[in-house]
Amino acid sequence: MPEAIKRRGDYEARVTHNRQLGKLCYRLGLEFSGDAARLFATFQPGQFVQLEVTSLALPPADKIPAHLQDQAWRHVMLRRPFSLCSVSATPTTTTIDIIYYLFGPATLRMITLEPGHRLRVLGPLGNSFAMPENKQTALLVAGGVGAPPIQHLATELAARDAVSQIVLFAGSKTIDDLAIERQDTPQGVSLPDLEAPNIAVHIATDDGSAGHHGFVTDCLVEWLQEHGEGPTADLVLYGCGPEPMLRVLAAIASRNKIDCQVSLERYMGCGMELCQSCVVEIRTPQQTETIYKLCCLAGPVFDAREVVFEEAH
Amino acid sequence: MMTETSVQVDFAGLRLKNPVMTASGTSGYSDELGDFMDVNALGGFVTKSISIRPRRGNPTPRVVETDAGMLNTIGLANVGLDRFVAEKIPTLEAMAEAGVAIFVNIAGTTIEDYVAVTERLARERAIAGFELNISCPNVKKGGISFGTDPVQVEEITSAVKEVTHGKVLIVKLTPTVTDIRVTAQAAVEGGADALSLVNTFTAMVIDIETRRPLLADRTGGLSGPAIKPIAVYLVNRVYNGVTKGTDVPILGMGGIRTASDAIEFMMAGASAVAVGTASFVDPACAAAVIEGIRVFCDRQHITDVTELIGSLE
Ligand SMILES: Cc1cc2nc3c(=O)[nH]c(=O)nc-3n(C[C@H](O)[C@H](O)[C@H](O)COP(=O)(O)OP(=O)(O)OC[C@H]3O[C@@H](n4cnc5c(N)ncnc54)[C@H](O)[C@@H]3O)c2cc1C
Ligand SMILES: Cc1cc2nc3c(=O)[nH]c(=O)nc-3n(C[C@H](O)[C@H](O)[C@H](O)COP(=O)(O)O)c2cc1C
Ligand code: FES
Repeated sequence: MPEAIKRRGDYEARVTHNRQLGKLCYRLGLEFSGDAARLFATFQPGQFVQLEVTSLALPPADKIPAHLQDQAWRHVMLRRPFSLCSVSATPTTTTIDIIYYLFGPATLRMITLEPGHRLRVLGPLGNSFAMPENKQTALLVAGGVGAPPIQHLATELAARDAVSQIVLFAGSKTIDDLAIERQDTPQGVSLPDLEAPNIAVHIATDDGSAGHHGFVTDCLVEWLQEHGEGPTADLVLYGCGPEPMLRVLAAIASRNKIDCQVSLERYMGCGMELCQSCVVEIRTPQQTETIYKLCCLAGPVFDAREVVFEEAH
Repeated sequence: MMTETSVQVDFAGLRLKNPVMTASGTSGYSDELGDFMDVNALGGFVTKSISIRPRRGNPTPRVVETDAGMLNTIGLANVGLDRFVAEKIPTLEAMAEAGVAIFVNIAGTTIEDYVAVTERLARERAIAGFELNISCPNVKKGGISFGTDPVQVEEITSAVKEVTHGKVLIVKLTPTVTDIRVTAQAAVEGGADALSLVNTFTAMVIDIETRRPLLADRTGGLSGPAIKPIAVYLVNRVYNGVTKGTDVPILGMGGIRTASDAIEFMMAGASAVAVGTASFVDPACAAAVIEGIRVFCDRQHITDVTELIGSLE
């Protein structure tokens, strides 16, 4: 029997890289050794970490985008939750990659991280996407900053040969907002991390800056119309992105009777079931009432049928 | 390092192995911090508020970060008395056996509620005492309305005192009053064995884009380093004005993150301290505070930590 490893912990990681991918998007690599390496090697797509960013300094003023100058002044006390886009392990180390988008004071501080810097990382936290059983095709929908865990899931599904076909729909307002590494070629945009014989990628942008001009969910509907002659029981749908997108996804899944899992975001005070801040409203099987479940413990991945999606404010 | 220092303190007739506890609502029901620290090292453990029936609490967003602090409006979400007894008492028993003083924080909307919950739990061997939460700013009925009126404070304290079966009764005071000595005095007259202060300060954050409060419940309770100097002052005020020279100890809290913070509270008059919000950022914070107090005593050649209590010149 393998030696028992802890369920989760608070560890120090070493920064291996922190590359700018787009105007407001970065890719951060964090390397663990020892016990932490063994623990983080078990990281499943959909799980997340909490990064300790309070101790980081703000970047110099000229590195702060104009629209974040005000936000930059806010102090950071709480940790910040991030999903992973990839996990790679050697016999002694494990490296996790995070793709982050500049939203405010914490993510701004993160751009000052350089190779060799140390960062405290709490994890692995939360549940994960359930791997498909007896499914032919996995349909993955990524919206904006929701893309990293979908990338992780796609590569995991491909590596495990879990389905015969993976179709990934990635969408954002504009192509620069898509939190996936990309290459701009004369033929259009390609996503090098998702190049695999069994992964097909469709891109959509609200402003037409790449791929289909329109919503990513439209591409999914179109795909279903073209390919959906067969039994939908062979399909499984996964999504992560803005809640309005996930709500549409859930409706599509329910209309077509497709199993669907969505990864949700909530404001998280702790990420480890201490503060009770992160509740998601869930329908009970009797549908007579709803209950609250913690996004950091019971989630972030939920069965789309159960979720009462939040109204957009 | 070997040390002669005694960090034990007396707390309302209990001998605590050190003066550091967890603050209610920030460390779960029992051993949730166990993945990150040895919970048996704590001097005391205060559970999340327990009410007679389960409460799901307020809608999200329930927390928001502020400069050096956060607002919460969890709304006393908890599993309720029955599930607490069935699921959490066994773990608390193990902690009690390891020498941790277990306090159950009790919330309600009527005096009868408080009495009923206390009466039921007074039979449990694991429990050393109760902390009456009459100061939560986030419930519409009861809660803070009890806590601001000295007549009601005395009434509820004496009603609960009758059913504690000799276990320690701590009354937790709200700071949102004009003169905290008045409510502190009322609690002592009602028979409180100890006072706990402070709970959070009612506060608001506005989203200027939408012109709406950021929290779904409009206001929330401010906690974290931002409130520490006010909390230290209030502890000192109650110590000098009410408890000094009596056998009623103070459990001080509000923004404690380091041993230095804890020592300030003790010098101001607290016999014990509680770590709250800081555990969200560093779940091993309480353990570090305990160790830091030892180191401070060693450095200052203090052989008995109780020397610090109320030692403010
Ligand atoms: C499970 C989960 C996975 C996530 N994965 C990613 C990811 O892979 N890449 C990425 O760029 N972002 C991810 N996020 C969002 C990320 O946590 C926020 O972008 C980050 O907290 C912003 O912090 P800030 O200080 O830069 O901005 P702020 O100005 O503080 O906030 C910007 C936005 O982030 C939200 N936010 C702020 N603090 C928190 C918090 N403590 N918990 C949750 N949300 C918060 C706010 O509601 C706001 O909408 C994830 C969030 C969750 C809950
Ligand atoms: C998220 C959160 C939940 C809380 N829940 C409770 C509670 O259920 N009962 C209670 O008496 N106090 C509760 N409190 C108040 C804390 O116990 C403590 O009094 C306060 O936060 C000040 O200490 P701190 O600054 O160290 O957090 C809560 C505080 C926070 C931040
Ligand atoms: S984030 Fe604190 S309980 Fe989920």
